[in-house]
Amino acid sequence: MINLRDKGAEIWENQGRVGRVVLALCGVTVVASLPFLGGTILNTPIADYESVLVYPIAMFVLMAIGLNIVIGKSGLLDLGYVAFFAIGAYTMGLLGTKTGLNTWEILPIGIAMAMFSGIILGIPALKLRGDYLAIITLGFGEIVRIVALNLGALGRSEGILNIPTPPAIFGIEYTFDSHRIYYWTLLVLILLAIWMVRRLSARRAGRAWESIRQDEDAAELLGVPTFRYKIWAFVLGASVGGAAGVFYASKTLFIAPDNFTLQISILILACVVFGGMGNIWGVILGAVILGYLPDRIRFISDARLLVFGLVLVIMMNLRPDGLLPRKKREKTIDKKDAT
Amino acid sequence: MIGSFLDQFWSLTFGGLSLGFIYILIALGYTMVYGVLRMINFANSEIFMVGTFATIIIIRDVFKFTQTSEYATGFRLWLILATALIFAMMVSGTLSMIVEIVAYRRLRRMNSGVLAPLISAIGVSMVLAESVRILTDSRPVASPRAMEKRFIGQFFDAGIRIDNTIIVISALVLFGILMSFVNKTRMGKAIRAVSMNPNAARLMGINIDGVVSATFLVGGLMTGAAGFFYVLKYENTASNIGFELGIAAFTAAILGGIGNIKGAFFGGLALGLLETYASFFLGTQWKAVTVFIVLVLVLYTRPNGLFGEALTQTRA
Amino acid sequence: MSSSLIQLKNVSMKFGGVTALSDVSFDVKEKEILGLIGPNGAGKTTVFNVITGVYQITSGEIIFEGKSLSGIKRYEITRRGVARTFQSIRLWGDMTALENVITATDTHKKSGLVLGLFGFPVSRREEKRDKARAQELLDFVGIGEYSDRLAKNLPYGVQRRLEIARAMGAEPKLLLLDEPAAGFNPAEKVDLAATIRKIRDAGYTVLLIEHDMSLVMKVSDRVVVLDFGQKIADDSPGKVQDDPRVIEAYLGVPENAS
Repeated sequence: MINLRDKGAEIWENQGRVGRVVLALCGVTVVASLPFLGGTILNTPIADYESVLVYPIAMFVLMAIGLNIVIGKSGLLDLGYVAFFAIGAYTMGLLGTKTGLNTWEILPIGIAMAMFSGIILGIPALKLRGDYLAIITLGFGEIVRIVALNLGALGRSEGILNIPTPPAIFGIEYTFDSHRIYYWTLLVLILLAIWMVRRLSARRAGRAWESIRQDEDAAELLGVPTFRYKIWAFVLGASVGGAAGVFYASKTLFIAPDNFTLQISILILACVVFGGMGNIWGVILGAVILGYLPDRIRFISDARLLVFGLVLVIMMNLRPDGLLPRKKREKTIDKKDAT
Repeated sequence: MIGSFLDQFWSLTFGGLSLGFIYILIALGYTMVYGVLRMINFANSEIFMVGTFATIIIIRDVFKFTQTSEYATGFRLWLILATALIFAMMVSGTLSMIVEIVAYRRLRRMNSGVLAPLISAIGVSMVLAESVRILTDSRPVASPRAMEKRFIGQFFDAGIRIDNTIIVISALVLFGILMSFVNKTRMGKAIRAVSMNPNAARLMGINIDGVVSATFLVGGLMTGAAGFFYVLKYENTASNIGFELGIAAFTAAILGGIGNIKGAFFGGLALGLLETYASFFLGTQWKAVTVFIVLVLVLYTRPNGLFGEALTQTRA
Repeated sequence: MSSSLIQLKNVSMKFGGVTALSDVSFDVKEKEILGLIGPNGAGKTTVFNVITGVYQITSGEIIFEGKSLSGIKRYEITRRGVARTFQSIRLWGDMTALENVITATDTHKKSGLVLGLFGFPVSRREEKRDKARAQELLDFVGIGEYSDRLAKNLPYGVQRRLEIARAMGAEPKLLLLDEPAAGFNPAEKVDLAATIRKIRDAGYTVLLIEHDMSLVMKVSDRVVVLDFGQKIADDSPGKVQDDPRVIEAYLGVPENAS
């Protein structure tokens, strides 16, 4: 099978600084111009194409990047990632309707709330064995939803209505049907998240996570404070989920517990693993495909999730490391291998 | 509140016990597979769901019961119940083996780690749940009542209902059969050997594929039986029912110590009772939260569950 | 006579009913190579595990540089200056050889998340220095040319040496080597013996578990012998070799020999 990942890495590494900037700019331009391609083959038959770009696609990409810090980088199986998305969204919903704060002011608060709950959950959960983390996080995701469903202050099953759109910033107006504007804003958030992850994984933190993922005991015995790094991964992942949640609430203007089911956690996890755990480009590709696919194949309407499930099974069996696997940085094969 | 709790204590307890036994049987599907593969058998919840439908097919379509039919009695009743139980077990057992082949086998041979099989199992779950949803038009399906649910006895103030009794007794029998299978038979011993040390087991000439298949089969049989008991108790099902029961049973398995068969037993019982009592005091909507908090507390004090083996020990 | 770097005082370790170490006391002097030998199951690796905090000892005390190690987190023990290799190789396979070592050199640094994020020049300079240091260590154990290769793809012997370089990366005062020569041919063993001496000469103290008697006797300044979790000898290599109790432990009790 062709190794897309190595091909891409090769092209990138053979560029000088200028070449890289040009490549990156080209990439961003292409991605940013996607909303104009609604009339082409890309169009989604039933749902509005531009709104599909915002949710699920761009939103999934952002969350998948966040979850990838947790699962792909440090190997922690989080099955309740939707909790942080929900916490961000409810922070926006509550503060946006009850106080005079606007979306941009709430964004950092939402992120902080998600991070804080990440710490609260992480301190007991990350002391446990990896497999238990799965069920604890899964339970946490459900609990956040159940709390939202049962607390009067959070609107119970009706959720929160009339959440304000973001106020104009740099002269850009947000109205509820200006999907492009939201898409581009999300793109900025995504680029920020990519920058953060790439920055961190290149250095000490990235190595520490990597060592924890591969052999946690060995890492601890060679001086890596594993618990602290796991908390960090968890909290950083939560922050991205929280940011996505704030923005989501401010886009849909209406949130309810039904938007935050376990299915979302599972889908985002599927994006990460399907695309290529640990490799940010793979994760993004996975999220784009899995976000887009169900809407693209809506013509087979009722069976689309069934087809989706089949695609997951077949793809995982064919490419267990995902579409664009984690890097295998073997540049040249050494001739001294014979020894 | 305490007073009315004491009044209803035994009837709550009986209900909780029969729910607990349903959890035990599903939890076995998780815990046995986990023991052998160290992987979460994600599709087990849907295997349970299919078991509930298999039961209804027997009662409704084979024995032609409708909502207005007269209750069956005597030999005919036992024949119906036994047929439905065995059919549900066989359907779920077979399906479970197929799931292993489709979702796990190839990936296991490639040594692909834990997450890829998890995702392919999630894919299989979606395929199963969605197929059934499409076939049933997204509607819940009610099971006609084949048996009069009378009280067969009294314990303090609580009536002992026949369906709860059947569930508890047959689940105990099934559990006993399972225990003797695992402890006495060649295959059972092989399963235990693989869960203790897969590499050593392989070196001893144990056929790992066979053992894994058998584990999925046994887990599926137990989970299918749970499907039957569920229909007997609640008389309805739906394509999305696996999810909730699956999570609860998985929690039960962890509570008891995953990978440990006795752990599934006590974990299931504890969870069934806990959920029932918690629903009484706090309302059903908070039962999942209560269960979760208890789970966290248990794991925090006993990181391997109540009966878990010491897997945390560092292999250094 | 130089002073003790680490002292085990009446250390016992029980697992359920099984006693893995019983009342073991010995010390390792500074800049010494101490060989730790004994038949299979004698408790050698358990000694490493209690020193590095993998197991909490049942009774007794372990003193490192005058301070007790009990109740200290594992990574803190490493930070204080104890690092080990593993009998069954436990490298981070998907990292390059160099990264394996750098990860261990990070031991003494702050987590660096904030620094790393904004790429302050300080952190960039430090990163460069760490890389150079890691490369030095790879060269030191003689595998410098493999620095860019993924650990899992390295030949067996190189992996064993990388284990040593990685442990040295944590800048320990006490280096624990768990059967570093396992699976080596005689020529490689000679090489390794030279490396171990070189490590000591560079200022490290070495505690060495090794099955190969001639290697242990050749490089060790002193040898401690364990049998069934008990110390049965603690002397110079020459004297230990002639100790009847040691011979008995290795060859079996005479009565059973017939």
